[in-house]
Amino acid sequence: MEFFFPYEVCGLGVTITLLGGDTGALLSPRLAPLIRSALPLSSSLLLLLLPPSSCILQFAVLSIAREEGRNRFPSEKMSVWNYVVTAHKPTNVTHSCVGNFTGPQELNLIIAKCTRIEIHLLTPQGLQAMLDVPIYGRIATLELFRPHGEAQDFLFIATERYKFCVLQWDAETSELVTRAMGDVSDRIGRATDNGQIGIIDPDCRLIGLHLYDGLFKVIPFDNKGQLKEAFNIRLEELQVLDIKFLYGCSKPTIVVLYQDNKDARHVKTYEVALKDKDFVEGPWSQNNVDNGADLLIPVPPPLCGVLIIGEETIVYCSANAFKAIPIRPSITKAYGRVDADGSRYLLGDHAGLLHLLVITHEKEKVTGLKMELLGETSIASTISYLDNAFVFIGSSYGDSQLIKLNLQPDSKGSYVEVLERYVNLGPIVDFSVVDLERQGQGQVVTCSGAYKDGSLRIVRNGIGINEQASVELQGIKGMWSLRSSIDDPFDTFLVVSFISETRILAMNLEDELEETEIDGFWSQVQTLFCHDAVHNQLVQVTSSSVRLVSSLTRELRNEWHSPQGYSINVATANATQVLLATGGGNLVYLEIGDGILKEIKHVQLEYEISCLDINPIGENLHYSQLAAVGMWTDISIRIFSLPDLNLITKENLGGEIIPRSVLLCAFEGISYLLCALGDGHLLNFQLNMHSGELTDRKKVSLGTQPITLRTFSSKNTTHVFAASDRPTVIYSSNKKLLYSNVNLKEVSHMCQFNSAAFPDSLAIAKEGELTIGTIDDIQKLHIRSIPLGEHARRICHQEHSRTFAICSMKYNQSSVEDSDMHFVRLLDDQTFEFMSTYPLDTFEHGCSILSCSFSDDSNVYYCVGTAYVLPEENEPTKGRILVFIVEDGKLQLIAEKETKGAVYSLNAFNGKLLAAINQKIQLYKWMLRDDGSRELQSECGHHGHILALYVQTRGDFIVVGDLMKSISLLIYKHEEGAIEERARDYNANWMSAVEILDDDTYLGAENNFNLFTVRKNSEGATDEERGRLEVVGEYHLGEFINRFRHGSLVMRLPDSDVGQIPTIIFGTVNGVIGVIASLPHEQYVFLEKLQSNLRKVIKGVGGLSHEQWRSFYNEKKTVDARNFLDGDLIESFLDLSRGRMDEISKAMSVSVEELCKRVEELTRLH
Amino acid sequence: MEGTSGHLSPPNPASKLLSNLPSRGLFSSTVLSSNPGGMRVYVCEHDTSPPEGQVIKTNQQNILIRALTIRKQTGHPIPKIAKGVTIAEGSRKRASERLLDSGTSSKKPAGQAGSRQEGSSIHLADKDLHSLTVERLRALLKERGLSPKGKKDELIARLKGVNS
Repeated sequence: MEFFFPYEVCGLGVTITLLGGDTGALLSPRLAPLIRSALPLSSSLLLLLLPPSSCILQFAVLSIAREEGRNRFPSEKMSVWNYVVTAHKPTNVTHSCVGNFTGPQELNLIIAKCTRIEIHLLTPQGLQAMLDVPIYGRIATLELFRPHGEAQDFLFIATERYKFCVLQWDAETSELVTRAMGDVSDRIGRATDNGQIGIIDPDCRLIGLHLYDGLFKVIPFDNKGQLKEAFNIRLEELQVLDIKFLYGCSKPTIVVLYQDNKDARHVKTYEVALKDKDFVEGPWSQNNVDNGADLLIPVPPPLCGVLIIGEETIVYCSANAFKAIPIRPSITKAYGRVDADGSRYLLGDHAGLLHLLVITHEKEKVTGLKMELLGETSIASTISYLDNAFVFIGSSYGDSQLIKLNLQPDSKGSYVEVLERYVNLGPIVDFSVVDLERQGQGQVVTCSGAYKDGSLRIVRNGIGINEQASVELQGIKGMWSLRSSIDDPFDTFLVVSFISETRILAMNLEDELEETEIDGFWSQVQTLFCHDAVHNQLVQVTSSSVRLVSSLTRELRNEWHSPQGYSINVATANATQVLLATGGGNLVYLEIGDGILKEIKHVQLEYEISCLDINPIGENLHYSQLAAVGMWTDISIRIFSLPDLNLITKENLGGEIIPRSVLLCAFEGISYLLCALGDGHLLNFQLNMHSGELTDRKKVSLGTQPITLRTFSSKNTTHVFAASDRPTVIYSSNKKLLYSNVNLKEVSHMCQFNSAAFPDSLAIAKEGELTIGTIDDIQKLHIRSIPLGEHARRICHQEHSRTFAICSMKYNQSSVEDSDMHFVRLLDDQTFEFMSTYPLDTFEHGCSILSCSFSDDSNVYYCVGTAYVLPEENEPTKGRILVFIVEDGKLQLIAEKETKGAVYSLNAFNGKLLAAINQKIQLYKWMLRDDGSRELQSECGHHGHILALYVQTRGDFIVVGDLMKSISLLIYKHEEGAIEERARDYNANWMSAVEILDDDTYLGAENNFNLFTVRKNSEGATDEERGRLEVVGEYHLGEFINRFRHGSLVMRLPDSDVGQIPTIIFGTVNGVIGVIASLPHEQYVFLEKLQSNLRKVIKGVGGLSHEQWRSFYNEKKTVDARNFLDGDLIESFLDLSRGRMDEISKAMSVSVEELCKRVEELTRLH
Repeated sequence: MEGTSGHLSPPNPASKLLSNLPSRGLFSSTVLSSNPGGMRVYVCEHDTSPPEGQVIKTNQQNILIRALTIRKQTGHPIPKIAKGVTIAEGSRKRASERLLDSGTSSKKPAGQAGSRQEGSSIHLADKDLHSLTVERLRALLKERGLSPKGKKDELIARLKGVNS
């Protein structure tokens, strides 16, 4: 049973956020104490929650013809052409079901995540992910069913925009085949308040849909399992809470749970007479059930009948039986049937408690009900019993889980064992974009989850290391892996060097890493370099000598000693060559033979050598013809030819920072020289292998500490690992070098260690620890969770104090009293530990938070806006602005100012504080009192909003997103000290977020899941024209956006084309993090053409149309999307088969390579 | 081990209820593979339009009109009351419909063809007759094979005589 509300858990000011997506379930008078503990409801909330169509407030909303304004943009750069793309897919699980979908013998779990479905296979080893399917619609209903004569289940999906489809899995082609689809919208009809209901008759005679109040839509099956024309039946009950089909009825029979106009709830049955297309009074009814009942569970044969799940009672009801049991007050959010005969059910409640409901019966006669608490899970939105005591818990408010039900309780009395958590960022109520490492790469810190499952999530684009093993080892100075023979596919030894010794680790027979010895190695000193060599030999370089050791006998075969008085400073080697530098600028070149180390050449350079490399990148894999050498003093890199050590190229690096590591490498057939400096910068050059010439010099900043470069390969591709305080992987894509963070702190050394027990692994030395781990796919979002146990609703970062401040609320679900508490909390921005807490007053909610400073005051403050949400008030009439300073890691209240309403938004504005308070925009000055203390003093304000919920500023301009009056533009006039309205959008959009794209263009998101842009019309001829914000872009995103922020998730590199494109990040209720990029016009036109070509090639699953899906849609109008592009569609070009790519290339008259290049560039935006 | 611990510890009511959970041999391995990496994203390159005749639309006929035509087709009489007064009040209408339906069908299983005509004259009340013109009254009398002659009052009396 899903409840759909225009405002789900969202950040719409105090009031709405509190409610969550389940208000319908919470409005029970009998559960008043419980409600009050969970939610301080006031009648105003109801007003706010009414869908726009039924709003009591009436406004003269002018409908403006926008046609005239189209395509009139000046040609200079503007943020009108936008590209919308998903960086993190929806994770909010709304539906799940289990059945034989992909084959008669295969059992599948199908999960709906709002606009996507995931198909998993149940195996003896667990859940196996099969397919992630995008759906062009928000999924309202997901049901598996088995038509007569079919060997496997079909999937029925209905979307919120009244489309449906029936899908079948074709195992031969692994494709989803559309069996039927259609439009089930009606021209007249009021959409249901409690969400759409879609049900399928257990005997597969019809599909029932409840989409509009007072109508029940029937899609009948014919006897071959084909669908026939749908028809509506009038349903007398207007406030329907749930409808289900009853099992075991000779005629299809529905059971309806509804509320009458006196708020009493009843249950009634109807038979569907398909021939007469009407209802016939059903076999039984039950009046006056639990006042909080909102869920029906039909019981399959042999018992049949229905369970009515209330807040205080559970009732079993059928034509000839009635059993009831009282339960501890709770709101059941989801259920899952355990047994096929329907005798056991799992119920998940609003507090995340999982219960087992048992119907006891004797000879098909129900004798009673039993309810037992099993334990705690995330707050469930869907429960699917899988097999063998494993259960999938899908959640909208926290992570989804795979749990196991144990026969015996654990020490805490819980029968629930959580085996796996599937990350869910939704609902993202607020987030902030920070650059904690000061690297130019944004991280998103979200306020995620709701109620007890609230958390902070740190989302960043970077490569994760999955730790396989780790051991404490201090002071590692270098690491190399060696093989026991040259043919061995795996590494055997791991040589770890310390300041005064060298230790050798090896895999033993039990696949454990164990210390061993190589007799020929000198282990009492630090090793400078190690490598495998030809003829099954190993090379060890220490400060005094080069040792050649047999890898079979492990005995010394030859040794080269450095000249007396000259110790070896740096060395490198490959399978056949050794290059080393001793003090005094001596460069020595050796070659390796079978048991022979031969000095080939020796040159003396004018300065000391800081680093060298002879990594073979030419045709010969064991022999390099070039050597790269980095120098002290003149700060240069030089390329020498081998074996004669002739200087070919000298490149002065400039500056005073010496090169610390050089590396010759090749990516995608292009040779590069990478050179890392002591200050964390990296230079890269393209290297001509024949002439040794260095071209295309580029410089990027990776960290602040010296970098060590090493190559490694993952999935048969070579990458470079830059070990430093900000470890980075350098890789190439589309013949461009790309840089991606590794999610580790400070790595001093790294080497590939590909052993049988740890295949494809890396050995990493970091902070006193040696770790062996595998590396993630490159360029993937990495998410770290900080569970709070309370609901964080606003977040703000303060660079100055290196802290985060959050507004949060803690529900006390166990207590009956009004006991939810609200806090302002201070967190460390590295550890995310609570440093300080400021409790707010009773009934006082934190609504907005800001870090800012004021003119004439160098301090940085946190400002918090609050509202007193009193149960008897429609709209908060009192609030506060609190000004805190962080001192010694504590929040100190410096000033407070009472306001006449909820402070929905706070902005720093011209060294002053701009607040949105109910319908007013108010500007405050920061004044010094005579006694030296400070206070906020009101300067001026502007009335004329319903509720000014979202405010953004730029210069003197103020952009306001109103509860229901779309976007308006205000200006602050310094001379007059007044705020005036300049222009506004006269559409009636219910806003959920606003942002300023550039001086003239503003972006808005509204509660019908649309995005739109408006533009200031400064050149308008009349005042009327200038006073109107012209709508220039419209798009259906299908996601409820709670926040926009400027910023980027990826490192912006100066050499990247996409580095110049401004981007905005958004966060949604479903846990989507998306990016909106404002493209240059030329690129937009090109991609628009590509998009329309892709629409012809990539078909919507179930026959749903992409064009319709992206069309702007609300109660009043539906218009085609314009000036927004669907990046998800465009980027799926890269996943197309070559044939299809060719098709598009032909249609576009652009080569496939060029198309790939341009699309891949876009993928680097997120 | 388990038996003794179960014996010593306080009874766990849920344990009994949790026994014999259904199993088909899935999730049976002792080592469950954790989330096996990324999922293939489905790119749908084939034609997804449904087979012929399976693009489903809703019957656009008004529910009330449909109810009437279905009754006509099936030969059920159209209940009079449905036409005027109670159209707005859905619940009562449906109840009354059902009452009438069952009533007529049980009472008059046969001879429904003439029921409409009969029905119309049966309900001609005194007041109604007075409101009719002489010509109309004469026509009615003719229909019934009676003499159309005489004054209005006589005509009414003659019609009433037939009705009663």
